[in-house]
Amino acid sequence: MKCARCLLQLQGLQLQGLQLQGLRLQGLQLQGLQLQGLRLQGLQLQGLQLQGLQLQGLQLQGLQLQGLQGQSARSAAQRGALLQSSSQPHMLRNTQHQVIRRFHRSPINDKNQPIPAEFIDEDDNKKDKSLVIHDDLFEQVARETKTKATFNKVVEVFIKQDVRRRGHVEFIYAALQKMPEFGVERDLAVYNKLLDVFPKEVFVPRNFIQIMFNHYPRQQECGVQLLEQMEGYGIMPDVDTKVLLIQIFGVKGHPVRKYQRILYWFPKFKHTNPYPIPKNLPEDPVDLARFSLARIADDRDAKVTVYQLPCTDITESGEEITLPHVVGIQSPSQMELLAQHNPSRPVFVEGPFPLWLRDQCVYYYVLRADPVPPEEKVEEPYDPERSLAYPLQLDLDLDRDLGDEESFDVEDLDEGAVFAMCMTSQGDQAVLNQWVSGLQQNNPILGRVPTLFRLEQGPRELQGAHKTKSDHQHRPDPQTQREEEEDDEVSVEEEPRRSQEMKQ
Amino acid sequence: MDNNSCESSRLKCLFLSWPASPSARLLTSVLPHHQLLLPPLSPLTIPCRTKIQRDYRRPGQPIENKYPLNFNFSKGIEGIKKHFTLMKDEFFGRWVGPEGKPLIEHILEQNLVIWKFRGPESLEQWTVSSDQEIGGQSEAHLKMGRNDNTCFLHGKLSSTIPRDGETRYSGYCNMRSKTPKASFDRKKHYDWSSFNTLHLRVRGDGRPWMINIATETYFSHQKDDIYNYFLYTRGGPYWQEVKIPFSKFFLSHRGRIQDSQHPIWLDKVNTIGFTLGDKADGHFQLEVDFVAVSKDYAHTEEFAYEMYERNPKRERIE
Repeated sequence: MKCARCLLQLQGLQLQGLQLQGLRLQGLQLQGLQLQGLRLQGLQLQGLQLQGLQLQGLQLQGLQLQGLQGQSARSAAQRGALLQSSSQPHMLRNTQHQVIRRFHRSPINDKNQPIPAEFIDEDDNKKDKSLVIHDDLFEQVARETKTKATFNKVVEVFIKQDVRRRGHVEFIYAALQKMPEFGVERDLAVYNKLLDVFPKEVFVPRNFIQIMFNHYPRQQECGVQLLEQMEGYGIMPDVDTKVLLIQIFGVKGHPVRKYQRILYWFPKFKHTNPYPIPKNLPEDPVDLARFSLARIADDRDAKVTVYQLPCTDITESGEEITLPHVVGIQSPSQMELLAQHNPSRPVFVEGPFPLWLRDQCVYYYVLRADPVPPEEKVEEPYDPERSLAYPLQLDLDLDRDLGDEESFDVEDLDEGAVFAMCMTSQGDQAVLNQWVSGLQQNNPILGRVPTLFRLEQGPRELQGAHKTKSDHQHRPDPQTQREEEEDDEVSVEEEPRRSQEMKQ
Repeated sequence: MDNNSCESSRLKCLFLSWPASPSARLLTSVLPHHQLLLPPLSPLTIPCRTKIQRDYRRPGQPIENKYPLNFNFSKGIEGIKKHFTLMKDEFFGRWVGPEGKPLIEHILEQNLVIWKFRGPESLEQWTVSSDQEIGGQSEAHLKMGRNDNTCFLHGKLSSTIPRDGETRYSGYCNMRSKTPKASFDRKKHYDWSSFNTLHLRVRGDGRPWMINIATETYFSHQKDDIYNYFLYTRGGPYWQEVKIPFSKFFLSHRGRIQDSQHPIWLDKVNTIGFTLGDKADGHFQLEVDFVAVSKDYAHTEEFAYEMYERNPKRERIE
């Protein structure tokens, strides 16, 4: 519509989806006008009178208003709809990404307007009336570049946008939620930067009444939540954190008190773990297996042997075969126990059992025997020559009173002896056979003892005496040494394995 | 597993927060039919003793006063028999000595096994709960170990937060002993005042657990006061003996460690529990052989944490 200068009177006009370009209106009177989805570009209005005007989802670019009289003009600016007035001299304009400021209007109207501080694209006209969510700021970062640098950049953009930091509470909550996606949840510097978003010295209470009445409770709660997330990840706050917190909330607020609590309790509980796990676990599976086997062996003299390193072979037919790693551990006392084991009774390879290292679960297999029935137990007297420095057994007639009994009134659990442990990525019978034959080098008795496999698909409980099936299926034939083919599938029931020659 | 529990401890980690809830404990017990004569008050003032162990009630929800309405004659007879037997034992036990043991044993004993799992009936003394009470997806089950000598707590943790708008953390499970009962369901407490160490024999899978001890309290605000300490399991096929002196237990309320600390009072201990709430999703298992208390003469520490006033009132300078 191109209208030249004329005295235009528009009453009760409804304009929807109207596009006006290069329009000049002079002496326009608009009464009861409803404009929806209006786009005005390069508009010049002179002597305009507006009464009862409702503007929704309006975009005005390059607008010049002169002598405008606005009466009860309410504009509900929503996401993707920003008002810009050319009368503002310091307007930022950018063709692609317009960071548009709001009108400087009285704070009474601010209640109706949620905060529109974000990027807009010209294609991206979201006119929905949903709540303002600051996740979008983080969503707009490209999927593949979610790093600490981009996270910092988003925070900086927010800080620079508005000196009053409107909406910082929602922004910080959104940022705290998005941290794991960007991989910065354990980074203290990022938390400090996020704390920097709070405006300083505004929330510091100035008298005892303000202290008493939880000055700026929402902001204090936000600060406490930030510290709580730090605490949840086990990050110790810094002196920078303390300085920031005091600048923002003052010494008497909840965030500083929370910070003090963290600083009090964390050092007390830092070294309570008698079996500590290093902060950075080894990533190489063999090293990880070494560490975890040494942990569960509970014996400093136990020795870790790597029977096979992981490697990928390409056979002649071009197939790729991945050989898993096989790492085993055995201590001298376990070797002795195995040497004393009755060859007519079988030994069992059981597994896989779970072992959790912080948030990672690894599985181990165990070579053990059933408990010896009481009639077969032989109590060997201590050999006095085993230790010449001090006697291992003392026959003292201690006059012990009722109050000096140091043992508990519980029967000893009789579980079978454990002879060795191993870890491997592929826990099928072939691989475990490899392990057992590797063990056989140091424990020749394994050549004479039948080995049964009790493997299960999933992780399983460590069990004590399994009294049922094993005795039926076990066919002891220690004299013959026939080779038997092994199945490669994982078997749930026990399968007898003939004792074999050592594998070459 | 039966999930009857009275406020079992729900600790994800030390620092959970729960909305406050008023307690509904009155000093007199009024029979329910008297209630109809009074104008209907808010459900929280139901006049009944909270000695009946109910399922978990989310704080803020009204208490459902469900009395067992089906009267089973044989169960009634059994109940009468049981309670009168207990009463008779208590009566004649007093002639032997305190708690049914001779006095010299009660004073001098150094080790006392409280719970040992020899037989499926020992599992009746324990209650297992998980965050399914608040809408989460972890599971926990308790059964006997293979050779009927240990208890085996296993399940799966999942830290997906239930979407009810107010829960912030999730992913825990808990095994708590039931409060000991005297005859006619009266409250009874464990008296561990002559001991100073908790001794456990466990076999875990490397996960860090937390031990909670709840004592008898007087004020209703203290209802969720629990004394905690960590139980770090090593994992592996070997059993682990854990000795924790009672001086190391710190006070927490609803999962939040408190500023003002004091040592645990051992003369009226109600329950002990084990909680798992490390944020690692996946299966878990814990085997417990026995739980005992002992007196370690070498341990002289009274309390491991400072007891000075944390929030001192500022001195007014006149």
